[in-house]
Amino acid sequence: MKNALRNPYVYVAFILPTIALYFLFFIYPMIMSVYYGFTDWDGLNKPNFIGSDNFATAFRDPEFRSSMLNNVYILLFSCCVQVPLIVVFSLVISSVKRLQGFYKTTVFMPSILSTSVIGILWGYIYDPDVGLLNNLLKLFGAGPIYWLAESKWAMLSILITNAWQWMGFYIVLILAAILAIPKEIDEAARIDGASGAQRAWHLTVPLIKPVVNVVIMLSIAGALRVVDIVLVMTGGGPAGATEVMASYMVNKAIKYGEYGYGTALAIIIFVFALVLTAAYQILFARRQERLEY
Amino acid sequence: MPAAIKKTIPHVVLLAYVAVILVPFLFVLLSSFKANNVEIATRPFGLPKIWAFENYKEAWVKAKISVYFWNSLYLSLSSAVAGVLLAAATAFALTRMKFESASRWIYQFVLIGMLIPGNVLFIAQYLLVRNLGILNTHWSLFLPYTAGALPISVLLIAAFMRSIPGELEEAAIVDGLSAPGLFVRILLPLTLPALVTVFIVNFLGNWNEYLLANFFLNKDSLRTLPTGMVGFRDAFQTNYALICTGIVFSVVPVLVLYALLQKNIIEGLTAGSVKG
Repeated sequence: MKNALRNPYVYVAFILPTIALYFLFFIYPMIMSVYYGFTDWDGLNKPNFIGSDNFATAFRDPEFRSSMLNNVYILLFSCCVQVPLIVVFSLVISSVKRLQGFYKTTVFMPSILSTSVIGILWGYIYDPDVGLLNNLLKLFGAGPIYWLAESKWAMLSILITNAWQWMGFYIVLILAAILAIPKEIDEAARIDGASGAQRAWHLTVPLIKPVVNVVIMLSIAGALRVVDIVLVMTGGGPAGATEVMASYMVNKAIKYGEYGYGTALAIIIFVFALVLTAAYQILFARRQERLEY
Repeated sequence: MPAAIKKTIPHVVLLAYVAVILVPFLFVLLSSFKANNVEIATRPFGLPKIWAFENYKEAWVKAKISVYFWNSLYLSLSSAVAGVLLAAATAFALTRMKFESASRWIYQFVLIGMLIPGNVLFIAQYLLVRNLGILNTHWSLFLPYTAGALPISVLLIAAFMRSIPGELEEAAIVDGLSAPGLFVRILLPLTLPALVTVFIVNFLGNWNEYLLANFFLNKDSLRTLPTGMVGFRDAFQTNYALICTGIVFSVVPVLVLYALLQKNIIEGLTAGSVKG
């Protein structure tokens, strides 16, 4: 009776297109990346196998090292500044009844927009002559500050834009976890006389730790992936002050045709992402079960 | 502290946050209607003296925002539709057809894709589309966009299909429906909520994609909004009103979609990241 579901031709026809595309655009590029990463390929001549030279070069390359450092800044900023703020805002939103939906919808909004358009929008806000920020500074008699053109401000400007875009996304993630906590627990603590802040800190925060861990892991992965916003806002400048690993990799490959070296950098980024998230899992998030929504 | 004040403090904090989100948009919206830079600089939050609607016409026609807009729209739509249909067909075969052990392997194999961050494959994909001879055509975006969405789409749709009880299908098979018929007439309609969510997530991802679009296409007439906008900004560097108009054009469709389908959008995007 169930022969219809045992038809191998139908099975293959339903699966093959997906597998073919998936293989062509995921598995094959992954294999080729590993291969190119160990060659000196420049896109024109025959690739020569050069062992791990590319990787040794990468760690000696001062420009790549400084771009790595910028990824570290992004990582630290997102984990040490953004995550605490995200938790606080989620708690505050969960504590209000009126307008809760409005707050949630609004803070989430930037994360559905294109990073490139956000880069343009914020580039305009940072504009030294007509931008919003310098307009505000002028009210206090300060400025003008060349946000994106001065080395000491450019990275911070990008960090703020990045936070502006993504914080709401994580707030909504954590908010969902907070709202899923059974009301009775909170009631019981209230009856026992715990204040709002006490309940938030001693009750809610421990209960949402698993999802906070997810947010931290996503932030780590996100910090290593940052590229669009840098390419759009500063192109890595001024003088490499905002260059990140991914933008450096893209430039090396596309602008200078150093495909071998570029893919080696891509592999380094991939390995960093794996190692950092795995290390975080093992050190901090080990015994937590996965969350399902 | 009186209760009333205690109740307003959270709202003050949150409204400040909301203002930080919305003020940039307000600034851009007002600027887009202003006639010149002097007016933008001197009265950033004043209403425009004369509403310069012609900025919109100029950006749409002369600055070719219309071209970018339609490119973005049809590429995002077609690859999102293709991705959803392929993923749904695969999810159907994996969860419903009687090839359990093969299905288990294929499922795991596809999920590996979610471990690989997109940027890592960028160079290899660039070389791939170059070798396929489709660099500088819309195929060079359509194929990676469709493929890129597959792992997470298969995961979400398969999870949804597993939660649908099988009785209806059994009855349909007894009535003589074939597997493809079952898929089209029974499973697809039942899975519609999940398909809509996955479609929206894919559509937004494609609509916003920058990296591939920037490097795989360099003909201006093929560009999509995110890359076209950057070129537009670089070309009109000091015409702030026109740049703001361009921003409005690329942001509004997404905001309309968001206003209509915010629940699906939030659910889809967050589900993807937590499970992925």
